Amino acid sequence: MTVTPAPLDVGAGTVLKLQGISKRFGAVQALKNIELDVRAGEVMALVGDNGAGKSTLVKTIAGVYTADDGTMVFDGREVRVGSPAEAQQLGIATVFQDLALCDNLDVVANLYLGRELTAPSARGRLLDEVEMERQSWELLRQLSAKIPSVRIPVASLSGGQRQTVAIARSLLGKPKVVMLDEPTAALGVAQTAEVLNLVERLRERGLAVILISHNMADVMAVADRVAVLRLGRNNGVFVVSETRTQDIIAAITGATDNAVSERAARRSREEGSAS
Amino acid sequence: MNAIRPAPGSQASLREANRARVLGVVRQHGPLTQVEIAAASGLSAATVSNMVRELDQAGMVGLSRSIRNGRRAVLVSLASGGGLLAGVAFGERDVRVAIADEAGEILAHQLMPLQADHVADDGMERAARLLADLAETVSSGVENIAAIGFGLPMPVDAVSGEAGSDAVLPGWRGVNVTKAMAGHLRAPVALDNTANLAALGELRAGALRGVRNGCYLKFSYGVGAGIVINGDVFRGSAGTAGEIGHVTIDENGPICRCGNRGCLDTFVGSRALINSLAASHGPLRLKDIVTRALGGDVGCRRVIEDAGRRVGVAVAGVVNLLNPEIIVVGGLMSEAGELIMAPLREALDRCAIPSAAATVELRAAELGDEADIVGAIHRASVLSHTNISIS
Repeated sequence: MTVTPAPLDVGAGTVLKLQGISKRFGAVQALKNIELDVRAGEVMALVGDNGAGKSTLVKTIAGVYTADDGTMVFDGREVRVGSPAEAQQLGIATVFQDLALCDNLDVVANLYLGRELTAPSARGRLLDEVEMERQSWELLRQLSAKIPSVRIPVASLSGGQRQTVAIARSLLGKPKVVMLDEPTAALGVAQTAEVLNLVERLRERGLAVILISHNMADVMAVADRVAVLRLGRNNGVFVVSETRTQDIIAAITGATDNAVSERAARRSREEGSAS
Repeated sequence: MNAIRPAPGSQASLREANRARVLGVVRQHGPLTQVEIAAASGLSAATVSNMVRELDQAGMVGLSRSIRNGRRAVLVSLASGGGLLAGVAFGERDVRVAIADEAGEILAHQLMPLQADHVADDGMERAARLLADLAETVSSGVENIAAIGFGLPMPVDAVSGEAGSDAVLPGWRGVNVTKAMAGHLRAPVALDNTANLAALGELRAGALRGVRNGCYLKFSYGVGAGIVINGDVFRGSAGTAGEIGHVTIDENGPICRCGNRGCLDTFVGSRALINSLAASHGPLRLKDIVTRALGGDVGCRRVIEDAGRRVGVAVAGVVNLLNPEIIVVGGLMSEAGELIMAPLREALDRCAIPSAAATVELRAAELGDEADIVGAIHRASVLSHTNISIS
């Protein structure tokens, strides 16, 4: 296992494509006919109100849930993801909101938990701590992470540093798609800056990044496109460089298509024609 | 910097190098325990212990009690003897902030991406909060910031402290930055254009060192210039000198954001470059264009070459007017290296009067994207010494 995922051709075609994904929990239709495509070297933000289906969609892509309907095309071929492990093997890495780090273990142990490197020795195969530490430093250096030591327990790291470790861990399996679930929630402004810089670096490495966030300022700062979910359905995909924050918020809240806004639009049209 | 250094290879020079290493680690990561310093610096625990004791006696670090892993530990942090200096430099898509000690040595810095067309108060609030966070990481408080150097990528009125009404970032138009920022951080603010600040930075610590008459060309999302005359940055009567991006290239050209027609920025600004590639390459960012051009993409190369040629024509005018010894090119676009420098040089040679063109040297910036923040810190340092109080 090497540390460096080979940089893909930046801007190469679509890596992940969802078509008509639907998911129902009993009486609740959580997702209905979701379409989404993510390209390499692109940050796609996924936004929506509470209960819009963001987390369900992420979990469906990550293999936690299986979709009732619809197809998923990854890297040019149709795939069925039955479990999180399968998704990871395909090259879809997910960093969930709780990060799933072991507080009592140090950074190296967390990075390599469950896939420790071993080296042969006189007493059989032993953990190759030296190599793991070397590769950990290498990876963190590539991400320009500000972590003082890889041998301190994760518990003593700041929120931003923990997020960095979790993202670094997801990169060890050479993924093509990285999903970040609310990476800047509950972080201070300096730590938020660190995570946003990290997202930019993932993008520069040619990875497709799916970023779930509630913070529009963060989304607008790093995303290339924004996909809006509303009540389990697609409610538009926006190219950030051509969109204002207000338009996206309108799509999130549904302000674009309710009775009040339609009446207001009608009235302003009438006034416009009267004057 | 004129102190006699110990002979290279001697024990004393090793000691000094180790000391610098310990200080560097603490500067980079903030307060650390000695064990962590040893891990991060690669020095032995005994050496670190010695160095910390020496540095403590010299008053260069402060020690405070803390708890790590349930054990008592001593945290080593940089001593902030006097006030801190702060530098803020806005770009079109990011803000860079730094905290420096009294001597102007940068202790901590951070870059934060921002959305395009961000509004001024949001940007300033983020910058202020970043500065407060950074001040804490160097184990000091925001109240210790003595002065702030503040850079914006647009014409600014250095006298009134306002961003120009023809500001390129619409969210900043006519905002009184000096007042607003002083309100956030309770420290005096020196406002300047980032091109001027970068020129100042290169003049103090980079490619313009010792230069009497020179020019710093900032080629990023837009084009700006910082002009050095008689060894000092020339700001003009209201601080807008060097706005080369709004030199008229084509009187019948497209309308610029500043309200004029056919400014240089309408041909080589980020929007123009991105739009010219939109049909063939889809939506790109400015940085993508540079990266792809370096990777061999012919379309991106062509766009960058054309931009270099256009800027070269405008720079030829500067060369004719000022006859500088040297022109330093910095900013995001300069990362394309010779791809941009060669056409720029060619256009300059073609359009400037031969005697002026023959004597001017075209050189890449040395401080990279740190130039403006170094300049901002320097402005803050000057401000804190002159002790101008804001009224």
